[in-house]
Amino acid sequence: MALTKKIYQLFEDIVGPENISNDPVVLASYQNPINRASNHMGPFYDVFTPQAVAVLLPACTEEVSNIIKVCNKYGLKLKAFSTGWSGMGYPCEDDTIQLDLRRMNKIIQIDDKNCFAVIEPYVIAAVLQAELMKYGLNTHNIGAGAQASPLASCAYLGPGPDSVFMGFSNENLLGGEWVLPNGEIVRFGTLGSGSGWHYGEGPGPSVRAVLKGLLGSMGAMGVITKVALKVYPWPGPAVLPVKGTIPAYYTELPDNFKYYTLGFPTWQAFADAQHKIWDAQIGYILHRQFNKMGCDLKAGVIRILTESDRHLNDLEELLEDPEVKRHTEEARHDFEIVLAGMTPRDIEWQEKALEEILAETGGWKVKAMQDPMRNAWGMLYLIRWGHKNLNYLYSGSYEGTAGMSGSPDFGIQHIDKVKAFKQEWDKKGMMVADGGDSSMGSVGVIGGGGGFGWEVHACFDSHSKESVEGTLEFFDAMAKFMKENRLGPEKSKHMEPMRQSDGRATPQEARNKMFGATPFPIVYKYQKKVKDAFDPYDLGDVFYKYSTD
Amino acid sequence: MALEDFRRDQERCSECNSCKWIPFDQIKSQRFAIGCPSIAYNNFTGYSARGRFAIGLALNEGRIDLYSDKLQEIVFKCLTCGNCDVAHKVCRYDVEPLDHILEMRKTLTGAGQVLLEHMIYIDHLRKEDNMMLEPKAKRGDWAKGLDVKIATDEPCEVIYHAGCRFSFDEELWPSARSAATILKNAGVDVGIMGKDEACCGSRVHSMGFEGEYRKFAENAIDAWKTQGVKTVVTSCSDCYYAFNRLYPRLGAHFEVLHTVQYLERLIKEGKIKFGKSIPMKVTYHDPCHLGRQGESYVPWDGVAKKIKGQINLFNPPKPRYTGARGVYDAPRNVLKSIPGIELVEMERIREYAWCCGAGGGVRMAYPEFSGWTAAERIEEAKSTGAEAIVTTCGHCERNFLDAVETAGEKMKVLDVVQLVEQTM
Ligand code: SF4
Ligand code: SF4
Repeated sequence: MALTKKIYQLFEDIVGPENISNDPVVLASYQNPINRASNHMGPFYDVFTPQAVAVLLPACTEEVSNIIKVCNKYGLKLKAFSTGWSGMGYPCEDDTIQLDLRRMNKIIQIDDKNCFAVIEPYVIAAVLQAELMKYGLNTHNIGAGAQASPLASCAYLGPGPDSVFMGFSNENLLGGEWVLPNGEIVRFGTLGSGSGWHYGEGPGPSVRAVLKGLLGSMGAMGVITKVALKVYPWPGPAVLPVKGTIPAYYTELPDNFKYYTLGFPTWQAFADAQHKIWDAQIGYILHRQFNKMGCDLKAGVIRILTESDRHLNDLEELLEDPEVKRHTEEARHDFEIVLAGMTPRDIEWQEKALEEILAETGGWKVKAMQDPMRNAWGMLYLIRWGHKNLNYLYSGSYEGTAGMSGSPDFGIQHIDKVKAFKQEWDKKGMMVADGGDSSMGSVGVIGGGGGFGWEVHACFDSHSKESVEGTLEFFDAMAKFMKENRLGPEKSKHMEPMRQSDGRATPQEARNKMFGATPFPIVYKYQKKVKDAFDPYDLGDVFYKYSTD
Repeated sequence: MALEDFRRDQERCSECNSCKWIPFDQIKSQRFAIGCPSIAYNNFTGYSARGRFAIGLALNEGRIDLYSDKLQEIVFKCLTCGNCDVAHKVCRYDVEPLDHILEMRKTLTGAGQVLLEHMIYIDHLRKEDNMMLEPKAKRGDWAKGLDVKIATDEPCEVIYHAGCRFSFDEELWPSARSAATILKNAGVDVGIMGKDEACCGSRVHSMGFEGEYRKFAENAIDAWKTQGVKTVVTSCSDCYYAFNRLYPRLGAHFEVLHTVQYLERLIKEGKIKFGKSIPMKVTYHDPCHLGRQGESYVPWDGVAKKIKGQINLFNPPKPRYTGARGVYDAPRNVLKSIPGIELVEMERIREYAWCCGAGGGVRMAYPEFSGWTAAERIEEAKSTGAEAIVTTCGHCERNFLDAVETAGEKMKVLDVVQLVEQTM
């Protein structure tokens, strides 16, 4: 149903006139450029998410609940986002109300004794981290960066650079307040029995599994308005001591913190070291990060980012520098580690363990990253995780393409194949020729063991038709390559099951077909049952994935 | 340039939202984590650099109408403070959020989409050469009784430009008088233009009135050239920005110094001697146009090029204005050299300092937003335990004075130069 004056008035009565708008200019600012991938394709291929009929800025759970009730009564769809970073947070159907949750920005409680924090949707990770550090605590940062809301990924997997110590997002969800798609407010975990926020499974409603479902509900299953998240020890200063000037900010932490980029002679040594690090249970942050700038380019780019007078224009010259070349070669098979000792003995032990691991695997500490400035920059980068926009550094658009998660022994067998394949495509000049390997990702899951997730980035110029078209061709070719080599799905198409090329939802029949061809079709069928039970009036959109087959 | 020329920038914005915050690396608390006053006050995403890119793109694509009150409000309810620009440039090298905002303003004013509140000031400027709604004839009154050369009568190497705010805001006259006196007493061959001084044009430039800006800029450049001026000194950060960053684009080649830079120089040369101690804990507010926008203009004439397939660069390298090389240390060095002064820092300083709320025509058109922005800064200053907030810009000083008065605060608002004079 369209937004009538009467319905608008009902919404206005809930949030107040200054917190609702259906002005075309405001609505245009809430349209996300999107094509088949999550990132920009420029003037040639970008389309925009359908315009919402109104944007509302609620201030509290009750307002969200009342908005949802009105939506259900009048047959309007609803889409909420916390920070609006991802295209999935925007409508994919007409007649949708967009909720922007930025006014719900309170840190409600930090319980330093019981190690949890209760937050609203617009508390971003950088802010929560800064506040937690005052209590000697820290929060998990998801891969999306410090500008993301920890609440927004609490029902998703949510891996990140610190997962080895702090787990995935959904593992840290201790309880919360969830406005169901019918407007009912559910308080889950111990909160639901009036026993506080400390345990996700109760006594009280235990809905974490429902919330998470296959891979989270992506804003399509009501609105989570508060969550309690498990938080972790931070054995550092109450305020990060940050020095330097833009962009070369850095932090000098006490001796119980160490950051290294570790290099290895082979992929096998790289994987062996990961297993050994997990076995030794060391590491606070464990991630392959700087390689995302490309194996041939990262050493030069790091110099640009750590010297505030430098420009990207210096890259060509820097890449000819013998020291930069040495750095590049030293870091072909590399990942980053931050050690945080809870006591002097702990850091001493972790350092010794790391030395042994390096000796056993033939690995080394990449010398260039031991330079005090670069080391202090890398430490801050990895802890605060505030440089996500670097993904767009080269030419304004990028997309993850090949990648996989699983045992490093499996993953590493394929990086070189993918690299060689991308290198061939790089020669065409349509993407950034970064050396072929721009793989990056989280190393390990909580408590160690098991996982190395990597993803290769393809950077392209969204304003060059040639570049966009060449990259789209590459994505198709990579998808074929991945399929032929049984490497799982190519990632650039992750929006495709949900959105058509005009930004609107794909027809249910098409989704049935796609989900039916996945390894777990039963999950999509089951999610339909959940959808029927929780969202009887179809308030949410297709980002909660289900099959009606 | 035209808005169409910013299409690349609009399309390369990643919607990461960094521009709403101070650089993430610098966040120390939730209370002072926000960088953009416009989004903080207005909440809808359009009121951010990110939202303005989306709206600019919609305009370029004809998806929205240029003639709209909401568009006007979104475009002009921004302080042009440039905090977004800094946060964005922690990671990005090829997108210019602040330039885009300024271009949107030019587009709107060019199409007659102007705010009535602004037009009151523009009309006055056209007639009386100032933005203070005061008669031109009163321009030199601030210097009455000072024994300083009038540059139109006698040649001088250094011109002290008071600017509109210091010329007409009587409460601020002592700052301008102190500056001129200190320079003269230190043996500097300094003069003033007196009643013949005119607006620098910086404020109208930020409001999108390019024609008016050029007229005042060209007149000032011609006058200084005629009088053989070598150095221009000002106590106003807005004027400093005009002379240092904008005028060189029109062929000006004067040395440009803010008063505080000249003071630092004179202190180093031993030409200023401090006497009595001023026991006071102060905090320093970096004005946007002296700090992050205080980087000097670097000429550039080049073209875009690509390396490594699709890395976008420029040939020759294009100057990058990030805020890294703004004027931050001179005021701090001067303050630290004053006996008795203890300088304590706020959380948002230097290139990521919170704006005073006076800029971009906001004080004229949206006084509540302007006052709120200033009050936020006063809160931040209070959190340091300082008894005074010290700055180097008349516009900041005025906005803080008003905010302090409105809130009934005890916080003193001072100009660095006043503290220097007090101790001499
Ligand atoms: S303007 Fe820059 S910082 Fe803001 S959303 Fe766009 S890319 Fe991010
Ligand atoms: S210039 Fe200042 S007020 Fe305007 S969008 Fe940028 S940060 Fe916000």
